[in-house]
Amino acid sequence: MINSSPSATARDPLAGKLPVTLITGFLGSGKTTLISRLLKHPGMNRVAVVINEVGEIGIDHDLVAMSTENVSLLANGCLCCTVRTDLQNTLRELFGQRRAGQIPDFDRVVIETSGLADPSPVIQTLASDTMLGAQYRLDGVVTLVDAVNGLHQLEHSPEAQKQIAVADLIVITKEDLAEPSTVAPLIEALRAINGHAVVRHSRHGDLEPSELIGLGLGSARAGSGTLRFLGELQTPGASGSGAYLAQRVPGRHDAEVRTLSLRFEQPFDWKTFAAAMDMIMSLRGADLLRVKGIVNVQGEPVVVQAVQHVMHPPVTLDRWPSDDHQTRMVFITRNIRLETIRALFDAVGAICA
Amino acid sequence: MTFDAPKPAGRPEQTLAHNMTLLAHHELDGFGGLGEGIAMQLTDDGRRVLWLAHESAPKNFTGVDVTDPRQPRVLVQTELPHMKVRSNSLDVSGNLMAVASQVLEPGMKPAGFDLFDISIPEQPKLISHFDCSGQFSRGVHALWFVDGKTVHMSSGAADFEPHNPLDDQFYRIVDVSDPSNPVEAGRWWMPGTRVGDSEPQPARLPKQFDTGFRVHNANVFPQQPDRAYIGYIDGGAVVLDISDKKNIRVVSRWNHSPPFNGFTHTVLPLFDRGLWIVSDECVKEGGGDWPKLVWVVDARCEANPVPISTFPMPPVSVFGKRGGRFGAHNLHENLPLPMSFQSDTIIIGTFFNGGVRVYDTTNPYQVEEVAYYVPGTPKLSPAGAIQLNDVYVDERQIVYTVDRFSGGLYILEMNL
Repeated sequence: MINSSPSATARDPLAGKLPVTLITGFLGSGKTTLISRLLKHPGMNRVAVVINEVGEIGIDHDLVAMSTENVSLLANGCLCCTVRTDLQNTLRELFGQRRAGQIPDFDRVVIETSGLADPSPVIQTLASDTMLGAQYRLDGVVTLVDAVNGLHQLEHSPEAQKQIAVADLIVITKEDLAEPSTVAPLIEALRAINGHAVVRHSRHGDLEPSELIGLGLGSARAGSGTLRFLGELQTPGASGSGAYLAQRVPGRHDAEVRTLSLRFEQPFDWKTFAAAMDMIMSLRGADLLRVKGIVNVQGEPVVVQAVQHVMHPPVTLDRWPSDDHQTRMVFITRNIRLETIRALFDAVGAICA
Repeated sequence: MTFDAPKPAGRPEQTLAHNMTLLAHHELDGFGGLGEGIAMQLTDDGRRVLWLAHESAPKNFTGVDVTDPRQPRVLVQTELPHMKVRSNSLDVSGNLMAVASQVLEPGMKPAGFDLFDISIPEQPKLISHFDCSGQFSRGVHALWFVDGKTVHMSSGAADFEPHNPLDDQFYRIVDVSDPSNPVEAGRWWMPGTRVGDSEPQPARLPKQFDTGFRVHNANVFPQQPDRAYIGYIDGGAVVLDISDKKNIRVVSRWNHSPPFNGFTHTVLPLFDRGLWIVSDECVKEGGGDWPKLVWVVDARCEANPVPISTFPMPPVSVFGKRGGRFGAHNLHENLPLPMSFQSDTIIIGTFFNGGVRVYDTTNPYQVEEVAYYVPGTPKLSPAGAIQLNDVYVDERQIVYTVDRFSGGLYILEMNL
C-alpha cells in the first residue's frame, strides 16, 4: 500500500492532479455573493467553477466569450459550468472536454455545494471514484458561516456542524449585520468543533481567489505547504481536546462534535495503523467527520486523510517536513473521546506486536 | 445574446498547459527559428550555457546563459556563410561543440561539420571542419557527440552515389579524438541504396510519403557502446553492431511503414527495461501525414522487436488543422551527460503544434500523458501556430524547447 520513498526522478503522485476547492456554507451565508464575485474576478483565469444553477448567479451575457451546452467561458478566462446530472458526471465531462479540446484548459476547479448539503459525500466521491481520483484531488474545503444566524444553525443542524468539521478555511460573513456580542461565542463554537481550520472574516464576498487555493496537500514533496496542510504553521501540534472551549459556549449541553489531537511517540508499522483506522471507520465512521495527520510508518512520513467511512489514498512524503518525526493526527469526531481512540490504537498495537 | 456556437479550444493563440509552468520565453533577438540541436555546457567558470542550432540561415547557432532559467541571456549568435546552408544539429561534449552543416543542393559547400572550442562561450573558436561535400551529398543533417571522441552522424560523402537523391545521407562514424584532425572510422548504409550495391533497391513509399532511405538520428550510449540506434527515416528503426567499425552488422530492423507513412526519426533505448522509444517525424502540414506517433517497442529480443503501444496523442480533431504540422518529432534523448535529465520511465517529446509533452511509460502497455505545454502562436509565425521542434531537459528537470520558425526558446518547469 505504501510506496518506497520517491527518488529524484520519481513522479509526485499528486502533482498531475487538478486541485478542487469545495465552497460550502450555511443557508444565507453569502455563497452566491462570493461565487458571483469570483466569476468576475481577474484572478479566476483558467479556473472552472461548477455551480448548481446559472439563474441565481446571473452571469451577464456580455461577459460570456464562448459556451458549450453547460460550460461558458467568461471574459476573465474563467469557465462557468453548471451541474447537469450529478457532480461525478460533471467532473468527468469537464475533464473529457478539456482533454478533447472542446473547452480551454483549466488549472483548478471550484465547486459550489448547495446550502443544505452535507459536503462529506462530495469529498468521499473525490477520494473513492477511481477515474476522478486519477485526475482531480481535493485541495480544500471553504465553509462560509453567517455571523447573524451561525450559532443557531450550528446548534440545530448536524449538516452545519459537518460543514465546519470538514473545513480547511472558515469564512465568517455578514459581521456588519450582527451584534458584536454574538461573534465571539460563534468563533468559540467553531473553534471547539474544528480547532485547526483558518478562520477569516469577509465582507460582501471580498475573498481573493488566491486565498482559496493551496489549502490541501498538493505534493508528496515535503515543504511549508505540508505543514500548512497539517495545521502546524500557526499552532504547534499540542495534544489535547478542544472540548473545554465548547463546554463554555452558552446554550450547548455538550460538545458533541470536537477536535481531538493525538500524538504517538512510537513509529507504526502500516498494518497496525491501517487495522486500527479500519476498525474506527467501520464501527464509528458516521461519527468520524474528518481525520488528517502525518504518520511515522517505520520512519517514513505518510500523510493520511479520512472523511467518515472513506480514507483518501495515503501519500508517502519524500522526507519529513520538519524536525518533528512523531505521528500527529487530528480527529474531528462526534461523541468519541480522545482516550477511546488512543486506547484503541494501543490495543491494536499490542495485539499486532 | 452572444452565446456562440460550440467552438473547440483549438484556437492556436491559446496557450494550453497541464502540469508545466513557463519560467521564461526568449525570442533570441528576432531569430527564433530553431532546428533540432540543443545541448548544454557547464563552463569552466560554472555557468550553464544552452547551445541551440538554428533551423535555417542566416544564423548558425546561439549560446544562451541559462544558469538562472528565469533569466536567459544570449551570449553569442553566429552567422552562416550563405543562405543555402543550415546547421540544424549540434552537440556539446565538455568544451567541444560539433555543429552540422547541410546544404540545400548537392555539391554545395560547406557540407559536413565544424568542431568548435567553446571554453569561452562568448567566443567560439573553430578548430576544424570535416568536409562531407560531394556531387551527391547535402552534408550532415544530424549528429551525436557525447563522449568527446566520436561523432555519429547522418551524412553524405563525396564517394557515395545513391540511386535516389533522397537517400544521400547514411550512417558515418568520425573519430575526433584529435579534434584538429577528424578521420572517418566507419560507415553503414541500407543495402541497395548505393549505386553499385548488389542488393535490390528498397521498395519506396507512395510518392507523397517518400522521404528517403537515409539516416536521421544515430545514437550510441556508453551503457552499450557496441550498438548504434538509428532512425533510418523510411527504412524504419535499425540497430547496428558497431563493435568492429570496419565491419558494421545489422542486429535489429523494425519498420512500421508501410502501412504507416514513414519517417522514423529517433530510436531511444531504455536499457534496463529492454524497450525502445521510437519517434516518427511529422513532415506535412494540416494533418497530411497523420498519424505520426511515438512507439513503444519491446526489444528484449534484439532480433525480433515487437511494438507494444503508442503514446497517447492529443485529439487530431483539435490539432490537425490548428496550423502547421501536428505529430511526433524529437525526444529528449537521455544524453549520457551530467547536465542531462536521464530517466527510464519519463519521456519528453515535441509534437509541433501539439507542443511539448511528457509521458510516464512505467506501464509500457499503457503509457500515460502526465504534462504538456502548448504555447500560443508566436509572433510572426508563418505556420499560424506554435511548431515546437526539439526539446532538451537538464538534470534539474528544467525543460528547454524551441519553435521551428519564430518563437525562439521556451523554458519550462515540470511539476511532476
